[in-house]
Amino acid sequence: MTAAMAAPDLGEAYSGYLDHLADADEYAATDLAIGLLDAGVAAERVLLDLVAPAQAEVGERWARNEWSVAQEHAATHISEQVVAAVSAHVKPRPTGGRVVVACMDGEWHALPPRLVAEVLRLRGWQVTFLGASVPAAHLVSYLHRYDAHAVALACALPMRLPYAHRMIEACRRSDVPVVVGGRGFGADGRWAGRLGVAWAPDAPSAAELIADERALRGAPPARLAHLADDEYPSLLRRRGELIDSALAELRERVPATREYTAAQLDATVSDLGHIVDFLAAAVYVDDASLFTEFVQWLSGILLSRGVPVGAIALPLEHYAGALRDFPRAARALALGSATLPGRPR
Amino acid sequence: MTASDVRDCDPGDGRLSTPSTTRPSAWSADVRRTTTALPPLAPDRGQAPPDWFEVVEHFREGLVVCDADGVVRHVSPVAERLLPEVTSGEPLSSAGVPGLSEDARGGFTHRGRRLTARRVPLSGARCCWYVEDVTDSVSRADALLAERARSAFLAVVGDKLGNPLHPDRAAAAVVRLAVPTLAEVAVLVLAPRAGRARWWRASRTDDDAPAVDSGVLVGGELPTAIADGLTGAEPHAVDWLVEQAVDAGWLPGLADTETVARVVPLPGRDAPVGVLLVARRATRWYDEDDVELVRAFAARAGAALTTALLYRDQAEVADTLQASLLPVEPVEAVGVQWGTAYRPAQAGLRIGGDFYGSHRLTDGGSVFFLGDVSGKGVEAAVFTGQLRQCLQALHRLESNPARLLRLLNDALLETTQAHGQGRFATIVLGVARPERDGGLTLTMAGGGHLPPLVLRASGEVETVPLRGMLIGVVSDPRVGEVTVRLAPGETCLLYSDGVTEARGGRRGDELFGPERLVTALTGCQRMPAPALAERVEQVTCDWLAQGDHDDIAVLALRAAGPGGRGGRHLHSVPAGIDRTEETDA
Repeated sequence: MTAAMAAPDLGEAYSGYLDHLADADEYAATDLAIGLLDAGVAAERVLLDLVAPAQAEVGERWARNEWSVAQEHAATHISEQVVAAVSAHVKPRPTGGRVVVACMDGEWHALPPRLVAEVLRLRGWQVTFLGASVPAAHLVSYLHRYDAHAVALACALPMRLPYAHRMIEACRRSDVPVVVGGRGFGADGRWAGRLGVAWAPDAPSAAELIADERALRGAPPARLAHLADDEYPSLLRRRGELIDSALAELRERVPATREYTAAQLDATVSDLGHIVDFLAAAVYVDDASLFTEFVQWLSGILLSRGVPVGAIALPLEHYAGALRDFPRAARALALGSATLPGRPR
Repeated sequence: MTASDVRDCDPGDGRLSTPSTTRPSAWSADVRRTTTALPPLAPDRGQAPPDWFEVVEHFREGLVVCDADGVVRHVSPVAERLLPEVTSGEPLSSAGVPGLSEDARGGFTHRGRRLTARRVPLSGARCCWYVEDVTDSVSRADALLAERARSAFLAVVGDKLGNPLHPDRAAAAVVRLAVPTLAEVAVLVLAPRAGRARWWRASRTDDDAPAVDSGVLVGGELPTAIADGLTGAEPHAVDWLVEQAVDAGWLPGLADTETVARVVPLPGRDAPVGVLLVARRATRWYDEDDVELVRAFAARAGAALTTALLYRDQAEVADTLQASLLPVEPVEAVGVQWGTAYRPAQAGLRIGGDFYGSHRLTDGGSVFFLGDVSGKGVEAAVFTGQLRQCLQALHRLESNPARLLRLLNDALLETTQAHGQGRFATIVLGVARPERDGGLTLTMAGGGHLPPLVLRASGEVETVPLRGMLIGVVSDPRVGEVTVRLAPGETCLLYSDGVTEARGGRRGDELFGPERLVTALTGCQRMPAPALAERVEQVTCDWLAQGDHDDIAVLALRAAGPGGRGGRHLHSVPAGIDRTEETDA
């Protein structure tokens, strides 16, 4: 997103666009984007230097608890409408083969892959965007039906990596090369390397990669020999039991949690489950940093909502006790606890 | 069976192993075999010591004994035959045999035979060279390795072609797999359809991945050998084929004088599905084993292509049928912003037993509906299709929701009784009419379906009191009816039981339930209808956590407010209301 710095006109448009998102004003946002196109700004820049950074800012505002989920959803919806309007305004002649773009199963952050899809379309590919949370079976039957040059898969949450791997393998079995993207693979794509799949940091690099079939097929093989230790499936089997016992301990040691409403209880159970899922994903790719990054992110989210650090420290401790026989999970938990604010590093 | 048993039951002659290790055991095995198989014949056994030179002459290894100066002193008959240039009384080095020098290692080729030699020091600084002819065992080992390579190759081929593929993918995979193991250039020509034959070609490049291209041949352009192959005959005399193929530019990088080629048909369902031409430099002639391998490859390739074509034909039919059974997005209507979500239980199938839709009325209003039929999968989807077609016709006759629902019930009863299916459905069916202030009046009739929810501008979520009986069961069902007014920006949400009966939670067995749905919607009054429908789908799927689920369908109607144009370019939130809400929050 460095181009935004080089173009002051877009910088001004950017703050205006954010205001329109804040006002949930779909007309104004669309008019602004189309106005830029009419003024000669390339469609790809409107998508990547206006819509994309605005969406990142929307996410930040949610993380800082400045915006509610509803506001975030409304803003995302408007950006999707803007992308559709930009796409309808510019009709490039398709010259390339078919590329299928989809979100991993369980993955709802559809705007970033939508932007990739539009950039590919602008560069002449025939793009099919299958949308959010595409089941593997649906994707595979699509690939059997239509001859795709490549599949681009998006994953925003690292906890989905084991599912992502299954989906990547399913595409491979259909002999269609895969490129992945999204923050779920790590800021530098290191977990894509683990799973043995080509990775692109942004839409332009994804487009370049897809144009180079050799690079697309030439990803080095997956490095998952560590899965032989059975820690990952054992962790999955114990998921329910771990959450139950963590919740029981939380109720015992933090009396306030006994008074939780049903909704608060659901949220707590869901957080406890996410901790296990991220831990399992860290074990899957054998990288404790996946878990420590999550703990840092989660503590930031909870702090901005006034939840004390103890709410994470306690379950981490509990899981560490319950998972003494899981050396790799235990190590990730120890490193995770150490990154919490106010803890010795 | 013990190791010694194995040794006794003839391990061949042990020549596959290195002579230095197997020779003594083979020797001892031979001795034992003699003693056990034959009773002792001569009572005077062991009296005369054996003439060792006589014994040694019959070794499979030839012996060359040299004295301290490296002059040959003895050559056994076997050594004489293998190394005729070695003569007794001459220095060994003068014979000029490359493998017989002290720093030589392993085997060497001499006079067209593979030989191994080892040097053993003897007393008095003498030495003995043991020379063995291993031509047969080496060629046998080579054959074994080649056979292993062929099996490994076919295993990879089976793996890559074992999954159903798109036909074009399968064709590209076939030629890509043939290079470099079978050919430097592989061309696949599919059986012509309507006079056009499609071809794929892979040619070897400098790095690992072969380059693949493809194209179309029209009618008469097929070389005779290819046309013959398509009838199932495997042409034998193929020299002229190489010339033809080179002339036609089929074999880039290969000249006709130094190229060999083979053509094999790929077996199909009745006639061959295509023909594979493999070509490579004449330095690697296609021998009998190679041709066998090409045939085995062709059999697998033919099966993969046949499956792919069969799958494509069936998928085409299935796709067309599915498309007719998919819910149709609601038609644009004045003052209404629609939002939908649809997730069938079987992900590979895109259809299910839930349905929704809308039709425009002549008076400016719209009929809308969402429902769920009994059963799952294709049969349920077919029933939803009948139901939607009924509604499409009936809404032209009757626009009162309760009366329309009764008409629908009668029509369904008649069809289900005629077919003896015993199918039934639950449905909410309503009519939306825009008001002057940008609000909507909804009149809804209930056919035993889950009651709709309304998101008020205050952020509260109300359950609409709508009851009624299943339709398609009795001839005069009790139909509930209710009227709801939506102020601008307010939303009515219809959903199927796939949402509230989603099983998830800690153990994966807890129902999502209506309370959680209400909680998830509370405070979402500012969301545009499509975002709201997606939110319901998302919280349901998050609750399921990848578990199995029933069909999920959501239909949201939002009062678009004054000046709302409906459809895509819609003010998601009218400015006036929005401001006050924001300060409230």
